[in-house]
Amino acid sequence: MRKTIVLLLGALIIIFSYLTIVSATKAFRSSSELPASLSEMEDSIRLVLITQELDTPFWNKVGQGAKQQAKLENVELEVWGSYGNNEDDFLKKMEIAIHSKVDGIIVQGLDTDEFKELTKIKAAFYGIPVITVANDVPVEESLRKTYVGSDQFGAGKMVAYELIKEMGTSGEVIVLRDEVQAYYQKERLAGIQDVLENYPEIDIIIRGTEDTNEQVISTTQQLMNDAPRATAFIAINANYAGPMIQEIGRRTQVEPYHIYTFDDGVESTTLLEQGKLDGILEQKPEQMGQESVKWLMEWISGETVPLNSGGYLTETKMLVSDGDKP
Amino acid sequence: MTTIQRKIWLLVSVMLLIMGIIWMTLTYYNQQTQEQTNSILQRYLRLNEVTIASQKMITDLNNYLLDPTEIHKVQIEKSIKTIEEVQQDVVKLRNEENAFSVTNYIHLIDSLVETANRSILFSEEQELEGSTNEFNEANRISMYISEMTLTILERELKTYNLFYREIIDQSEELKKLGIWILLLVTAVLLLATYWFSLSITKPVHQLTKAANELAHGRFNQKIKVESNDEIAFLAQTFDTMRININDLILEIQQKAQLEHELQQSKLLLKESQLKSLQSQINPHFLFNTLNTLSKKAYLDGAEETSDLLVSVAGLLRYNLKRIDRPVTLYEEVLVLYQYMEIQRARFADRLHFEANIDESCLHVNIPGLTLQPIIENAVIHAIEPEEDGGTISVRISRDGFWIIMEIEDSGKGISQDNIELLLSGHLDTNVGHSTGIGFQNVVKRLQLFYGVENLVSIESEEGIGTKVIIQIPETREEVNDETTNSG
Repeated sequence: MRKTIVLLLGALIIIFSYLTIVSATKAFRSSSELPASLSEMEDSIRLVLITQELDTPFWNKVGQGAKQQAKLENVELEVWGSYGNNEDDFLKKMEIAIHSKVDGIIVQGLDTDEFKELTKIKAAFYGIPVITVANDVPVEESLRKTYVGSDQFGAGKMVAYELIKEMGTSGEVIVLRDEVQAYYQKERLAGIQDVLENYPEIDIIIRGTEDTNEQVISTTQQLMNDAPRATAFIAINANYAGPMIQEIGRRTQVEPYHIYTFDDGVESTTLLEQGKLDGILEQKPEQMGQESVKWLMEWISGETVPLNSGGYLTETKMLVSDGDKP
Repeated sequence: MTTIQRKIWLLVSVMLLIMGIIWMTLTYYNQQTQEQTNSILQRYLRLNEVTIASQKMITDLNNYLLDPTEIHKVQIEKSIKTIEEVQQDVVKLRNEENAFSVTNYIHLIDSLVETANRSILFSEEQELEGSTNEFNEANRISMYISEMTLTILERELKTYNLFYREIIDQSEELKKLGIWILLLVTAVLLLATYWFSLSITKPVHQLTKAANELAHGRFNQKIKVESNDEIAFLAQTFDTMRININDLILEIQQKAQLEHELQQSKLLLKESQLKSLQSQINPHFLFNTLNTLSKKAYLDGAEETSDLLVSVAGLLRYNLKRIDRPVTLYEEVLVLYQYMEIQRARFADRLHFEANIDESCLHVNIPGLTLQPIIENAVIHAIEPEEDGGTISVRISRDGFWIIMEIEDSGKGISQDNIELLLSGHLDTNVGHSTGIGFQNVVKRLQLFYGVENLVSIESEEGIGTKVIIQIPETREEVNDETTNSG
């Protein structure tokens, strides 16, 4: 009897001790560290990268590159922007950035008056340097410090050369662009035209479209009706390649057509991998991000003043579909 | 010595200490958690204050622009001051996670204040368009501030999300911990109380058992209590008492034995005295008469009868005098002859008496009437019932310091059982004795006289005869030691 009681109580004590210890370790486990508070205003440099197309593969890469460089330079950088070309939101972010008195703005150039006014007047008023990246806006219109990105004119030429290589020196080429052309689109088109003009047997049909999928599809429809013998398509705005190919595919086979675009579209890489695109012009988004931060920092620290207003160009390369290779 | 009181104190204070420590820990921990939660809540409240202050400032600015009076001016200045104060508070909210946003936020407030000031300036200079533009911008900035407040709040929530969940989990776990600790302490307390109560009741139990043993009269077992408190002291005292009682009882027993022996010898003496008193009814008359009869017989020429009467008278006198004091063996032998004389007159030829006596032994002291009852026994059992009579022989010889007296008859003998009964005193045979003194009496008197047992032995063969052997030491003191040696 006595032994049973002692044994029972002993067993209970062991069980309860175990449970208590388990419970205590859980309860008193040091809670995850709260972020250390910074009571003093530290003068660390704040940069903002603003884009209209957040969460697209191209701009994600730009953002990555910029963040890497920012880490290297030991400055703070945030990527802001709007989703899916929401211009109002984009401009609002620009304004917030200016009112927040950041130390530098790296921005995807937008060829509108509001944008230009923001960069020219507001940013200048607060003395904030602005660098355009990937898409340029001419310096005289935006007072940007410099441009970091591809040579869009050269890129256009590359696409044109590739087209000729594949298609030959004669045929009808359809070029799809925005109704209201941004500066970089003008540059690209100019590059394409510059090459194709040398071949009199090539007809260029240039058509602008609104930037909705329906509009792109209907424009493509019209174009195909108007020029049934066209064998090549170039989407200057890479985002239009998707709906365009979708429309072509609905009517006929996509394969025989020579379709080209640039890599800054949402679906560009996917379409190329599927073999629907014959080639895209590949840019170096990460390098753009890195270099834009680098040059901006050089300007802020006064190492290179002024920056080359012509811009710092990054590499471009033609990427062709595997399916098209012989 | 640990007293029971001290034990209780120890148990209770240890338990109180444990409880206290647990309570303190839990309270301290709770307080810390609460402080953390408070500081977080405060962050949210401060952020919210910014939004409220900026909106109030816009309203005041609007009022002032519409109606630029001194009252409104004071108001707008006051709200600008408020927002600057709030801004100071916001600076404290910066941490590694949100440094960027909060810095932007602070600058936004700066911009708001600057824009508002510009608007006031324009208004004072009557530049209506400028002031309206600036007001619109201030309004926009205020909106941005509101939005940014939400963004920062959202971010805070995200940053602190894990932390909140941990706090919730931990408080849940703390509840469980409380229950487990309660159960654990209960179990420990039960066990401790159990052991503790055992340490008190076990010695009491042992003591009770020991007391029971004593109550049943077993005084030999030692009282042992494994304890170190008052009970042990009690047990020790109890044990001492036991030993004392034991000693006393032994003493009483010894005394009782002594008393018993004394009583026995007294009884024997009384018996003899009574017997002698009985026979002293008129001893002198009887004695004188016997002497007169003897003389008369002698005068009548019956010399034989005269001798017989002298013998009877001698025997009677001896019987009256010598019962309670020692006599010499010589006197005993003399009486023996007289007695045999009488018996020979009675049985004539049927009785053959032989005596072989070492004269050198006759000086020895011996209780009176030792041989006569034995001879009488022999006559009663060996001569009387036999028609042809029998032989009785008496031998007195010396064996070292011992005097050996042998009385042998030629009767039917006694069975071995009866011999033992006789010697142990369970069979009395003094009926029909002339002196009223039986065999038992002789044995006991010898025992008391010499202080040695087994002085008398009986050898007997049925149909052949019986031999009673009495051995006595030559000197009483001298031979006492020898007795033990020779067994």
